[in-house]
Amino acid sequence: MDPSEVEFLAEKETVKIIPNFSLDKIYLIGGDLGPFNPGLPVDVPVWLALNLKQRQKCRIVPPEWMDVEKLEDMRELERKEDTFTPVPSPYYMELTKLLLNHASDNIPKADEIRTLVKDIWDTRIAKLRLSADSFISQQEAHAKLDNLTLMEINTIRAFLLDSLNCMYKLRSNLQPGSSKGQFTDY
Amino acid sequence: MDTQSYLPVQPGVGMEENFLSLDDILLSHDRLPIRTECSFPRLGFLEKSSDTQDIAEGTKMELPLWLSKGLYERKRRVVSVELPKVYRQGWRTVFNADPNVVDLHKMGPYYYSLGSQMLHFDSPENPDIAQTLLQTFIGRFRRTMDSSQNAYNEDTSALVERLDCLEKGLFRSGQSGLNGFQSWEKGQATQLTASSLVLNYRKRKITDVQP
Amino acid sequence: MSDADALFDDGSDANQDDSQEDVMTPAELIAKLEEAWLNEKFSPELLENKSEVVECVMEQLTHMEANLQRVKKGDAKASVHRMEIDRIRFVLSSYLRSRLQKIEKFFPHVLEREKSRGEGDPSLLSPEEFAFAKEYYANTETYLKAVALKRMPPNLQTVDMLKAVPEPCLDSFVFLRVKERQENILVEPETDDQREYVVDLEEGSQHLMRYRTIAPLVSSGAVQLI
Repeated sequence: MDPSEVEFLAEKETVKIIPNFSLDKIYLIGGDLGPFNPGLPVDVPVWLALNLKQRQKCRIVPPEWMDVEKLEDMRELERKEDTFTPVPSPYYMELTKLLLNHASDNIPKADEIRTLVKDIWDTRIAKLRLSADSFISQQEAHAKLDNLTLMEINTIRAFLLDSLNCMYKLRSNLQPGSSKGQFTDY
Repeated sequence: MDTQSYLPVQPGVGMEENFLSLDDILLSHDRLPIRTECSFPRLGFLEKSSDTQDIAEGTKMELPLWLSKGLYERKRRVVSVELPKVYRQGWRTVFNADPNVVDLHKMGPYYYSLGSQMLHFDSPENPDIAQTLLQTFIGRFRRTMDSSQNAYNEDTSALVERLDCLEKGLFRSGQSGLNGFQSWEKGQATQLTASSLVLNYRKRKITDVQP
Repeated sequence: MSDADALFDDGSDANQDDSQEDVMTPAELIAKLEEAWLNEKFSPELLENKSEVVECVMEQLTHMEANLQRVKKGDAKASVHRMEIDRIRFVLSSYLRSRLQKIEKFFPHVLEREKSRGEGDPSLLSPEEFAFAKEYYANTETYLKAVALKRMPPNLQTVDMLKAVPEPCLDSFVFLRVKERQENILVEPETDDQREYVVDLEEGSQHLMRYRTIAPLVSSGAVQLI
């Protein structure tokens, strides 16, 4: 999957905005939005929030977890634990990038947040590699991956799945039998 | 990496070869040391080292994998196939000690695939060969992964130089995952770029294209 | 009330004449499409076609687009509707495209499965996809003949496509999220010194395991590939 497709999925998450215009309810195929009143917070999907923000029609309220103190705690915990700690949002990385790139003026301490999220990401990716290696070397058949996000899975997906496939075929060499001695004749 | 063909056929790895895989076609041309178990009349021209008309029984020569597989039969012995050095006991000990020290490109470059293919030919060593192939792969996995995940925008030739073809393929999957993420992170994914095909096309003159 | 409102607040009427037992809201329909999209993207084999979902989504889109035709330029709501349409359209075409890609990759096997399908069994391919697969097969054969096979000795002029084109590998691993709790899923051992064991798949949990083990759960909708 392309990272931009993961980002596309992240854009469906809702975020609070404070509009500076008024508009009645919008009946979208995917659900109702609004009504919009100047100064009154309202939930919208991220794709719409970013669009309105770009047209200077709203202010974006950063999600609660997008806060230096909270993220610092998360980073500590992530570094301390060997397992993956619960993430504040299944799309924390994508939302951080989207909101910071398009609405950094609405987010206090944007640069610090960017660094913190990147630190958390790096720690988790290092863990992911460690678990991938042990999954391969132990020749496991099943792994539980709670708390891993789609973007994280996505960075290692092709590599890990291709490797597992190769390993599967090399392992099936160990079972003498079926196809052995019979040459495939095209 | 930028000139990837549309839907390339992956190598078959194990006991199977994929008919339309370029890697497997190249693999099937790897030469194996064999010994003839009967005489081949009037085929002496295939054996460059002698002038005789026939290939005599007991001649040692090299044949490509596809031909060795075709001639090999368990019941009627026509040829016997010798194990290439890298799969023999001596090398297996090296692999079992530390698979990471071996230059699999030099020893291969189809170490895993050819090794799997060798299992077609009966030998008491087969189980050990299969086991060594698997353990070598597992032993080298971490290294393949780390190098493929840490090498962004660098010259990767030194990293891949010692990899077997299969590992190179995996290295590329790893790199594409990493590159995809990093260019997304930098926001390059949102910029439209001209296809390399279009760029190259422009360089050609119209007279070159016309018949 | 803006004039756009009267046009849009009946967004669900396309489904109302559908007197079938499972009435879906348009939002649920879009969710179904996205599910099918991700499942198709990540499953090693071609999944059963969801042409009902595709058709309903198309209907919704045409309905909405027809409404938008009548709205005057610069309407604030219309632009939001257009954005949503573009997003749905993206998922729809990506879904259909990933199916076509798999058909191209596995065409002999896809057609074989379609041939051996029992009378009442649901079809793997939509009528359009079936036509595409047949044509792709014929074109590949013609091409191979033209560039190589006709120059071969007569006994080597045929290629068995079923053997020449690799089958989908159902033993591939997949990532999945559980939507409905499942008990006693058998995990087969990978090596001789491991034993088989069972796992329970808790709702909301995520796993990495062989596609073959959970393939039925993908088609029943109990798990979502991620």
